[in-house]
Amino acid sequence: MAPASASKKKVFIKTLKDGHYQLIVAGKPFIVKGVCYNPIPIGKTHDYDFWNDPEKPWLTDGELMKKMGINTVRFYQPGEDVEAMRRVIADLYKKFGIRTMMGHWLGFWNYPAPFYDDQDFRNKVKADVLALVEALKDEEGILFWVLGNENNYSFSGKINPWSSERIDKMQDPRQCLLARAETYYTLINEIAREIHRIDPNHPVVMGNGELICLDVANTFAKDVDVVGCIIYRGKTFGNIFKTLKNTFDKPLLLVEFGADAYNAYEKKEDEDMQAYFLEYQWAEIYRNIASNRDGVGNCLGGVMFEWTDEWWKHGEWDAAGWLVHDTESNWSNGAYYFDIKADRNMNMNEEWFGLVKLLPEEKDAPPGQAMNKRVPRKAYYAIREFWKHPSKTSSIKNPERPSPAGRKNQR
Amino acid sequence: MRKWIAGLAVLLAVSCNVCAAEEKPAGEVKSFPVYTDAKSPDNHFIPSGWMGDFGDLSMDDKYMGEPHAGSTSIKFVYTAKKTQNQGWAGVYWQNPANNWGSKKGGFDLTGLNKLTLWMRGEKGGEIIDKIAVGGIKGTYPDTTEVSIGPIELTTTWTPYTVNLAGKDLSYINGALCWVANADSNPNGATFYVDDIKFEYDPALKPAGKKTQEMPFYVYADKGSIQNHFIPSGWMGDYSDLKLDVGSADNPYFGKTSIKITYDNKATNGARWAGMYWQYPANNWGGADGGFDLSRAKKLTFWARGEKGGERIEEFKVGGIMGEYSDSDTAGIGPVVLDKEWKQYTIDLTGKDLSYIIGGFAWATNLDVNPDGAVFYLDEIKYE
Repeated sequence: MAPASASKKKVFIKTLKDGHYQLIVAGKPFIVKGVCYNPIPIGKTHDYDFWNDPEKPWLTDGELMKKMGINTVRFYQPGEDVEAMRRVIADLYKKFGIRTMMGHWLGFWNYPAPFYDDQDFRNKVKADVLALVEALKDEEGILFWVLGNENNYSFSGKINPWSSERIDKMQDPRQCLLARAETYYTLINEIAREIHRIDPNHPVVMGNGELICLDVANTFAKDVDVVGCIIYRGKTFGNIFKTLKNTFDKPLLLVEFGADAYNAYEKKEDEDMQAYFLEYQWAEIYRNIASNRDGVGNCLGGVMFEWTDEWWKHGEWDAAGWLVHDTESNWSNGAYYFDIKADRNMNMNEEWFGLVKLLPEEKDAPPGQAMNKRVPRKAYYAIREFWKHPSKTSSIKNPERPSPAGRKNQR
Repeated sequence: MRKWIAGLAVLLAVSCNVCAAEEKPAGEVKSFPVYTDAKSPDNHFIPSGWMGDFGDLSMDDKYMGEPHAGSTSIKFVYTAKKTQNQGWAGVYWQNPANNWGSKKGGFDLTGLNKLTLWMRGEKGGEIIDKIAVGGIKGTYPDTTEVSIGPIELTTTWTPYTVNLAGKDLSYINGALCWVANADSNPNGATFYVDDIKFEYDPALKPAGKKTQEMPFYVYADKGSIQNHFIPSGWMGDYSDLKLDVGSADNPYFGKTSIKITYDNKATNGARWAGMYWQYPANNWGGADGGFDLSRAKKLTFWARGEKGGERIEEFKVGGIMGEYSDSDTAGIGPVVLDKEWKQYTIDLTGKDLSYIIGGFAWATNLDVNPDGAVFYLDEIKYE
């Protein structure tokens, strides 16, 4: 039997008598109340090394997060400086009690495209991840390892297409897709098993776009502990909880979901709209956590996208644009229906997903005060209250919907 | 001033009518007429909202031949000539006339719980897609929208009822509308409507969502009353699509199949295209109109390519997200079509099909069909 202190360090998932899944952290049930954390300041882009930011934004953010009730942050990708990462993880945990989900892209956004059917590439990715785990596994703040982020969209070639001679020989496009899925999920499984060997204390989450190809993962990625879904379905997650139970019966963590705070139809910031969707989304998460007998009971919590706005996201190759809070929409999603009547139905604004917005720092601000000001949006307060008193609907009055244009020929 | 007095008279008449109805003892029917007879002072709405191919419509609201009751009924003639190139037409009864929600009009019909009307066809077999109460949006939107249909008329007067129990009737401007389409009525339709009224029926319970019986067709044949959902959701390079729901070119079963032509012009700049069969038409999740298809275990359909080798990236059901989202989604693909008819199945086991507005869809792109594609679909049905 392991000593009590050792077992308390172990993060694990308990299967309850009714088959529900419950996350246990420090010996107690734990609902992930998380946020994706990528504190890129105004004027910088995605390659900015925030781990070494001299302004230490995580101290300001950690305090605000703690006041809101956030207990987890998700980093998408490790930095290069291990000591800097340790410092950030430790600060967030020791000062604010906030735990870290540490992610790894698995080479998905590297150039050239990810060759998951190439043994050298697989070995390199595996070595990278295991080195990361080895370096950080003893940090008290670590909660999960997260492998990949929507990498499964590459199976059909929608994003970062990859293949191999072996796969292309199959010719039938469906068989090729399934072969790519098998290839990728076996790599995930190999890495998950290795992580369990060197770090039995922290579960492995697989970051999957929607539920796509999880029937394949059910066969080839049995060793992952948690399915982490990236989901943008507006007010409701639909049947995701039950579908996952039927196709790949693992605990579910919504590792990325949310709503933007810019109304592309009205062409103005819309905090109500963001708060409205987030409250409904959290209500569904709570309906399906282990302690709720009426739900599916397989949800461990959620991680909202995201903590701060990111001003670099639109036109990321244009450095001048990093200083502009762009209002041009990047994609369309009818599930966020309040502004779907925007031009060309483009209603999703990547730069406006923050629970807190950023304001440029004062010019010539001295060190220590040169950080963008954080201004919590309405969603910050709404979700803070929801976590105190979970309810089934939104406290936000249904935001105004645009009037339909011309009725004469509408059926 | 005269206008004001006339308005007051109408207001008094209406309020007295509703008030009087509310004072009647329980169990007795209360009513609020939409149309009883031409020139009746009890008529409260005007059939002014002509939609779709309005040029195909004519109306005689004083028609004296064989009314259901009284001395007149309303005669509609729909020629199905597609004058406005819409393929459908319909009429709303509004108050005031032509009110598409821009004016404060309508009535508070709280306390009433159904709408009844009588209909008959000139020849029998005329197909009415739907009969709806409410649903006009705008600045002053109706507080509810409920529809029934499709219905097939006979030559004898038949009553139809829209159950409004449990619905918010506090503001109704669009008292009633009917919609018919040219596919279902290729030679047009002549039909009669009479004695339209809102009523209170103490025995009426709120309608639960009806679980549909299987098989449930998306497409059986052109104009078939078995068809559900409308191929209205054109996506991507929609200008490069042509749809013929009545292709007689070697259908798999029956007289017709669906022919889809996808040109490789990328006219709208998307380089992909697709099509949703929706209910109601053009419903991207903004209208509450889904079918409960919980009994379905699979969706099957037959498909073939004009040349063979046409690649469809996905065939799917559900997946429309909006204020009223599909309750689930499922699909297959990519699929490379043969020149011969072949049946495909989308497995729906374990899916939540309790609310489906996107009954069927396909999508593909020019990367896998550089020359475009022509393909056929037939016998699309839930089983």
